Amino acid sequence: MLGMLNINSVVDILPAMTKLLRTLSAVLALTLVASACGDDSDAGDDASSITVYSGRDQELIEPLLDAFTEATGIDVEAKYDKSANLALLIQTEGDNSPADVFISQSPGALGLLAGEDRLATLDSAITGLVDSGFAASDNTWVGITGRLRVLVYNSELVDPADLPISVLDLVDPKYDGQVAVAPGNGSFQDFVTAMRNELGEDATREWLEGMAANNSPNQPKNSAIVEAVGRGEHAMGLVNHYYNLRALEADPSVVSVNHFFPTNDVGSLVIVTGGAVLESSDAQDAGAQLLEFLLSESAQSDFVTGTQEYPLLPGVAAPEGLPSLEGYTADTINYELLGDGLRGTIELIQESGIEQ
Amino acid sequence: MAGGSTPGPVALKPPIPLLLLALVTGLIFLGPFAYVVWRNIDLGTDFSEVIWTRETWEPLRRSLWLGSTVAVSSAIIGTGLAWLTIRTDIPGRRVWRILAPLPLVIPSFVGASALIAAFATGGLVEEILSPIGITDLPDMKGFRGAWLVLTLFTFPYVYLPVAARFASLSPSLEESARLLGRSPWTVFRTVVVPQSASSIWAGSMLVFLYTISDWGAVERMGYSTLTRDIYSDSLFNPARAMGMSLVLGVVALTVVVAERSLGRRRLEVSVVRSRDPLVVPLGRWKWPAVLGASAVLGNALVGPAAVFGFWSWRGLSASNPTPGLQTDLGDLVTPALNTAETGLITAALAIAVVLPVAWLTARYRSRVGDAANSMIVAGFALPGVVIALSLVFWVLQSPILGSWYQTLPLLILAYVLHFGSQATRAAHVAVGAVPRRLGDAAATLGAGRIRRFFTIELPLMAPGLLAGAGLVMLSTMKELPATRLLSPPGFETLSTEIWSAGERLALAQESLGALVLIALSGMLTWAVVLRRIDNY
Repeated sequence: MLGMLNINSVVDILPAMTKLLRTLSAVLALTLVASACGDDSDAGDDASSITVYSGRDQELIEPLLDAFTEATGIDVEAKYDKSANLALLIQTEGDNSPADVFISQSPGALGLLAGEDRLATLDSAITGLVDSGFAASDNTWVGITGRLRVLVYNSELVDPADLPISVLDLVDPKYDGQVAVAPGNGSFQDFVTAMRNELGEDATREWLEGMAANNSPNQPKNSAIVEAVGRGEHAMGLVNHYYNLRALEADPSVVSVNHFFPTNDVGSLVIVTGGAVLESSDAQDAGAQLLEFLLSESAQSDFVTGTQEYPLLPGVAAPEGLPSLEGYTADTINYELLGDGLRGTIELIQESGIEQ
Repeated sequence: MAGGSTPGPVALKPPIPLLLLALVTGLIFLGPFAYVVWRNIDLGTDFSEVIWTRETWEPLRRSLWLGSTVAVSSAIIGTGLAWLTIRTDIPGRRVWRILAPLPLVIPSFVGASALIAAFATGGLVEEILSPIGITDLPDMKGFRGAWLVLTLFTFPYVYLPVAARFASLSPSLEESARLLGRSPWTVFRTVVVPQSASSIWAGSMLVFLYTISDWGAVERMGYSTLTRDIYSDSLFNPARAMGMSLVLGVVALTVVVAERSLGRRRLEVSVVRSRDPLVVPLGRWKWPAVLGASAVLGNALVGPAAVFGFWSWRGLSASNPTPGLQTDLGDLVTPALNTAETGLITAALAIAVVLPVAWLTARYRSRVGDAANSMIVAGFALPGVVIALSLVFWVLQSPILGSWYQTLPLLILAYVLHFGSQATRAAHVAVGAVPRRLGDAAATLGAGRIRRFFTIELPLMAPGLLAGAGLVMLSTMKELPATRLLSPPGFETLSTEIWSAGERLALAQESLGALVLIALSGMLTWAVVLRRIDNY
């Protein structure tokens, strides 16, 4: 039987294999050495360097962090992920977290960490930069930008005259199967929490069940709703205001349009993105400086042009073509509830049957 | 042919160093599982509330249903495609062989998005077909969409090991059967499939485990499996998420153990290298075969690549001035290098780590070997985020390990823990390919253990090991959740770039990233794996 084994092929492959192994082990060794060296240079607890966990996009945040380093001489290392994942990471890391600052897309993740005493109390000079409704009342976090909830619709499928006046009208049977929602998404959950806060548990449950009875199609997130409405897959959808502005920038021929609910409607909630300094941080002052920087006039204008979000620093102009934030009932909403009450909201959403 | 078959494990005592090595490996792989158990205790999970409810059983049922159906369809497609490209005279064999493993590298969230953009109402396909009156395309959401996406992007888990098996399998049995007048189908069914059964099982198992741990496709398609619920509950309802993770881990372990005990009874045929492989003439089946292969790879690779190409081209030709929406190939160079580096190192390390366990289980009857093997394989079924969090937790327990936190070696360890199973299955098959008597003969002639390993056994195992290394490399290159959580600050891979571009709706940059990922993985798979498999 040995004759069937072709010894030549064994000899052929051997040098190749050895070479491969040698190359790979060299690469591995180099990497280990390189990363070990990297560790040493980071050692020390000086405030000349801070670590930021950012739930906001790198393309947007990185230039701002660079500007911050230039202005203050404080180096910034940044880690980017979804806000919920980073909150989960901070929870798991506990007191050993390397993070000094957490920038979050949604107040929910901030509220959760504040509830677990993971966030440091900020100087009221920083939280006072924004209107009182846009920061945590216990000063554990501060809002940076605002996003408005809207109804995006396909202008080829929907006659503007048929649009609802209030978000509560969407349970009308005439909208059956037409209004897409993202029940698993953070901003939808924040919106439902606000509704619980404003209208109470029963009215919210009734609305959710009405939307479920209306067979509201599900999408995983805001951007998927805007894309699907643009294609004509859904007639309408509940999203944040800037997704459609973004889609139009990418492709001006898209036929999706934002419909704004009246300023006093629960449908037109302002959701803030925010930032906080970690309780476990040993560079809390430098971290607070970064938050202050993000609320400076120039950084706020950069947010406006970069994301078309609302600036929260009074005096900075809102994005062009958008209704002014004044008059919206945003500042009456209790953001603590948006964080702490999120678990209850998720349970309410799951029980309502709106999830398909 | 009786002389070519090697009996299964025998009752020899395994060498102590090998046992120790397997024990340590098993303990390391136990980490994520132990974390899940500990968290459940710590959170005081009330199992009567988490496990014995419809809210858990329904997603579990969906996970199992999706996992089984995807495993079956992938087994059929993977085996069929492997046989066509390796054993027949199908036109364009060389091209098929390079393309076939590549769908594995398309991240499921990107693949699902491409499929939706192509087939959904108002999508690209409808735009193309509507002039000829076709507007009602089948709905791709829910189970159907998830099943399709996962089948199209995971069948290489079956294809690669089975193709490697065919490439090194002696054609003599097949030849004899054909000479005796058996029809090609009968030969395929009675000779080819039984000979490669262990590879087909190994691959299907990987498909099953991957499917129940996948988040991207089920999230995008709106099919609520256990893993999807674990992700959505992990922050605000950790007790439920951890309870469900435990359920998922236990289910995976059960399936792995059941498969292994069934696998003992399967026919093992030793692999004998052959310089001139059998080529089955397809005759009048030639063009239907081409059509079938095109249908699979058209949907799994060419279609998505075309969609990505269209969007990239649109972005590159009409540059968008809006910040964040620009399309720039230059931004992808460093991420591409990082992706290649982590993919290669992880693949080599994974093989080195699991080989002792594979050797132990293939050569000896050993409880330690079986237990270690089960731990490695089950690690694949836990969602990436759970693996990552478990490492965060364990590493930060000690100051010494803590200094490795958020460094590249730790990220690579996470990849090895998550994807080691893909190498262990292949390694097991590869060890089975080494005739025992060969080592005995060399030992009689005075060759030392190390020398025997490097001059005889390793070369014989090379094709199987490389197939496993290829799977690990492709999976690592597309991994997202663990990469994002564990990577050093500022460390970007193609996968994180694609995700980040998608989050800011930069469709063109997202597509360009996906194209680069496909091209890079194609080159690496060819250079490192395929080129070195004999007769491939």
